Amino acid sequence: MFRPCTLMPLFLLLCTLVYPTPNRDPSTMKMFSVAHKTAFVVDHCPYMAESSRQQVECDVLTKSRAQGVIPLAPVSKSLWTCAVECSMEYCRILYDVYPLNKLINYIVSDSEFHILNTWRQEDQSTHELMSALAAVGPPNPREDPECCSVLHGLVAAVESLCKLTELQHEQRTVLMDTAERVANRGRIICLTNAKSDTHVRMLEDCIQETLMDQNKLAAGSDRLMAIQQCELVLVHIFPMGEDALVSDRPKKEISPLLTSEVHSVRAGRHLATKLNILVQQHFDLASTTITNIPMKEEQHANTSANYDVELLHHRDAHLEFFKSGDLHMAGSTSRDSGLKETVTLKWCTPRTNSVELHYCTGAYRISPTDVNSRPSSCLTNFLLNGRSVLLEQPRKSGSKVISHMLSSHGGEIFLHVLNSTRSTLEDPPSISEGCGGRVTDYRITDFGEFMRENRLTPVAETAPNPGGRFPADRAKAQLERYTRYWPMIISQTTIFNMQAVVPLANLIVKEALSEEDVLTCQKTVYNLVDMERKNDPLPISTVGSRGKGPKRDEQYRIMWNELETLVKTHAAGSERHQRVLDCIVACRSKPPEEEERKKRGRKREDREERPDKNGTKEPEDRAWQDSERLKGALEKEEQESEVIKDSPDSPEPLNKKPRLAIEEVQPSEKAKGPVSLLALWTNRITVANSRKHQEFAGRTSSVNNKAELYQHLKDDNGMDVHENGKASR
Amino acid sequence: MPTVVVMDVSLSMTRPVSLESSEEFQRKNLAVHGLTMLFEHMAANYRLEFTSLVAFSSLWELLVPFTRDYNTLQEALSNLEDYDKTCIESALNGVSNVVQQEWGSSCPCQVVLVTDGSLGIGKGSLRHSLQTLKQRADDKKFPLPFPFPTKMFIMCVANSEELQTTDAMDNLEELLRLSGGDGQIFTMEGQLCLKSVQAMFGRLIDQAYSPFHAVLHCGNLSSDVQVFPRPEPVVVDDEVDPMPRVVNTDLEIVGFIEVGDISSPPVTSRHLVLPIAVIKEAEDVSTGAAEEPEEEVSASQMAGKSPNFCVLLHGSLKVEGMVALVQLGPDWYGMLYSQADSKKKSNLMMSLFEPGPEPLPWLGKVAHLGPISEAAENPYGEDDSKSPFPVQPSIKRSYAQNVTVWIKASGLQTDVQKILRNARKLPEKTQTFYKELNRLRKAALAFGFRELLKGVGDLLERECTLLPDSAHPDAAFQLSHAAKQLRLASAGDSQYAAFDQNIAPMHTDFSS
Repeated sequence: MFRPCTLMPLFLLLCTLVYPTPNRDPSTMKMFSVAHKTAFVVDHCPYMAESSRQQVECDVLTKSRAQGVIPLAPVSKSLWTCAVECSMEYCRILYDVYPLNKLINYIVSDSEFHILNTWRQEDQSTHELMSALAAVGPPNPREDPECCSVLHGLVAAVESLCKLTELQHEQRTVLMDTAERVANRGRIICLTNAKSDTHVRMLEDCIQETLMDQNKLAAGSDRLMAIQQCELVLVHIFPMGEDALVSDRPKKEISPLLTSEVHSVRAGRHLATKLNILVQQHFDLASTTITNIPMKEEQHANTSANYDVELLHHRDAHLEFFKSGDLHMAGSTSRDSGLKETVTLKWCTPRTNSVELHYCTGAYRISPTDVNSRPSSCLTNFLLNGRSVLLEQPRKSGSKVISHMLSSHGGEIFLHVLNSTRSTLEDPPSISEGCGGRVTDYRITDFGEFMRENRLTPVAETAPNPGGRFPADRAKAQLERYTRYWPMIISQTTIFNMQAVVPLANLIVKEALSEEDVLTCQKTVYNLVDMERKNDPLPISTVGSRGKGPKRDEQYRIMWNELETLVKTHAAGSERHQRVLDCIVACRSKPPEEEERKKRGRKREDREERPDKNGTKEPEDRAWQDSERLKGALEKEEQESEVIKDSPDSPEPLNKKPRLAIEEVQPSEKAKGPVSLLALWTNRITVANSRKHQEFAGRTSSVNNKAELYQHLKDDNGMDVHENGKASR
Repeated sequence: MPTVVVMDVSLSMTRPVSLESSEEFQRKNLAVHGLTMLFEHMAANYRLEFTSLVAFSSLWELLVPFTRDYNTLQEALSNLEDYDKTCIESALNGVSNVVQQEWGSSCPCQVVLVTDGSLGIGKGSLRHSLQTLKQRADDKKFPLPFPFPTKMFIMCVANSEELQTTDAMDNLEELLRLSGGDGQIFTMEGQLCLKSVQAMFGRLIDQAYSPFHAVLHCGNLSSDVQVFPRPEPVVVDDEVDPMPRVVNTDLEIVGFIEVGDISSPPVTSRHLVLPIAVIKEAEDVSTGAAEEPEEEVSASQMAGKSPNFCVLLHGSLKVEGMVALVQLGPDWYGMLYSQADSKKKSNLMMSLFEPGPEPLPWLGKVAHLGPISEAAENPYGEDDSKSPFPVQPSIKRSYAQNVTVWIKASGLQTDVQKILRNARKLPEKTQTFYKELNRLRKAALAFGFRELLKGVGDLLERECTLLPDSAHPDAAFQLSHAAKQLRLASAGDSQYAAFDQNIAPMHTDFSS
């Protein structure tokens, strides 16, 4: 006995993966091939209750308990049990490899037909079928054999093939005018015990007749489709030790609509092998045996034995072997007297890293042939736990070629095909040699943050769908909003280099702002005003300008311009977005003309007041003097910002209106002409402070700075008081 | 897609072209002229293409192995010698060898066959090859179709009237059909001269070697790019949708996904995404020819220095370990990621997924991927410790659930032994005992295997008699209870044989 789940990598080998070239074959199954619909018809007549005469010893006595105990007589399965368990195995493999759009309709036939499920996707599971089969139970040996026949089931199968599947219905609706492109083909697998070749011919004729009848019926109906092609696979099952009364017959054409083949097999093991081969043929499957799987044995913890596990999957996973003709080189072996082939691939350590992006040309779902054997379940559990295994193609030359990878995604195991030939894309010019390759100050980290915010997540289909758009469209819309103003390089931006702007920059891109968001944005703006008042330095790039870069005032002007540009691109989004813009326009330092005048005024004041000033003012003064020298550089900077505005990514030119508003605020000041520094300062502080809070209702409505108290007592509704009393910060 | 140029150097190619002018041309000269034009075009606009040159007559020779060095190819062209008769079959065998040795059997290739339409005589002629197509031994099969996907372009240094006087055209058409039908036969229009051969190769260039230009968008950020190699049109299901799907020239990023979440997806093809500078001024500026080389240098330098979105995207994808999901057309997607060729060199790559609404089962439908801001709670967690991927399928696969298969006797024996093992450890193992018992019961009922139910019932009864004196009294109660229930089920009484019912442990007073 070995412990399950103790697969251990035994040895470490370094393996390099070669990233090869694309690989695609157009031979993939058509959407509506015969494989789309399979009707199973299983004979439930009294003779199916007969024993298969294949005995199973289920009481395996251990040596220590052997004395004195009479072992239980071996049990044997009936023909019915054999037929049912082999058909369920067929379904299990099919559903593992094709969870969608390869449908089964299970029909049981005795004195009448019993349809156990429908074509609907939700009915496609072995559990559903097992439950329905349990309800049917084994055949009743006492039933009158005269009224029982598999024919009832076969007729029902043809009728059922005329019924539309969900996919057929959906595609017909989608294609509209070209709905006739949706084909209706299907296969009937009949498991029965036929009496003779004549009996088989009778069954075939009967199906042919039903086909014609049903197609006539379907021609006049919207809910039915005529069958264009039907494949009958008749499996005659007989007990061990008996002679086959029916002979094998390869596929032959009965009519343009119907082909038929007959397989005559003994019940039990032979039947299982037959149906395993059939499911591979019917659904283009192939077999891979994973060899050299190291597993620790429970009794000898230090040793480990190697095991093999056989998997089934779509045969395209072997495309490369088929084409290059080295199927045998790849370790293909024939088993079961040449009926079945498997390709051997070697387990390869070390495991691969999940964050590595392999160049993979195909991924195919697998199903273990022997699902509940120890080695199989060890391998599948190992993979289901999230680990991946690289597989090596054995080659005569001894060179190591990794050709496949086993990996699970969301509880499903896939065989990935990794191509192993030379890449046509090798040695490309590096991205640093191309356009934009010489630029060194890209905002890589910021864009990384941007990508994290724009990651995707599955959205349930039932979720409300604003504006009838798909979630992916909303993801694109979000990208559009987030990139309305997004400078690509560090030296092109000031605001995105400032921690202080982050709260606003993160919020303004949202589709809808809450009242709280607006407050946060406003706070950010006040904070900037505060910084400006304190003369905090800004992270303005000095790239392109000689010397120390623009003067502090100028820096703030650039910053405010950029902030305004950012917010302006969103202002039309909602009234709240507009309010953020209004706040900036109202709070930002004065427009350039104003600034100029101020400068002139201050120049004079400076000269007068310099002796009184303490050291803290000096840096600004120096900056001021520098700024005269750097006027040229400044203009250049301005030009650059103009250039940015003109790029297609930039927002439309500034709307002048808000700026007029600010001029209205300070008309008196303007009229006075030159003012003292103190006056200028206090005024500025007052203005700045006034932006931080909502003005007292009393003061705004005051006359000559006198306000009437308890106005609300006059009018009955005191709503306004409450509103004004609330702190607006 | 690598290219093999297969050049006919048989004697018939030396036939002079009748021209009024004084200069005398051979068909070979025209062919070389056309190929020179093709190589020059590729060197300038398609220089990442690997091209090789094969010359053939009755034998074939690989003159230049696959290379991006177009000077070498040109040089080989100018040193062509003349040989005997045309034998296309052997040349195609040569192509098959050359390609498979270099690229394996799955890499799509373009074959440019340059010939004059006189396809040989007698044994080895194309006519003979096609006539004997069905009478070949396995080791002497006609080389078409090639094992690798092929685009076959047949360049005839002859006009169509000339070809139709013999069966040459029919044979070439048959050849094209055998190759898989993807490709075209080009003939010269009008008189055979330099001009018409240029026109013919010009048509080939337009058809197969014009660079694919697109604009990569991420919201308002964008970049002009060349996608190399050109993405080929794809037919998904020729019955339901016979129209080939073509990649849009506007590539729109939908959003971003972690490399670990996208998890080595299967792709149909891979392409380099190279940012290009669209120089509009170039047309307007009409400066002297002498200054042009300098201008070009400065233009490419300028392009290197102005920020480009591709470079930004590439840098961040690389640093963050993410891919960008990109929409290529209706229900068609791909991914952009950073691909490192060596330690220093890395590039922006685009891989195409199979067309369809759900190319990767573990992502679900791509149209149903939305921004994380819509989710009530960040599905990646505040510290990126979680992920909404992979999407789980609604029904578990057989290997992920405890299915019962008794096709091999060992499967049945193991299941019976499991029950017996637990039976001997009652009452400690009561839960497992009944779990295994019910699993067996369900399967037996579904398979109509009543004999087994009765048999296991008998076994449990026997175990009951074999219980040692030291056994807990509960064990005997549970065993006989289970045995009785199994026997009732085996009798087929619907009350006891219901699939969805389970045998519940007997309630006893020994529970402490």
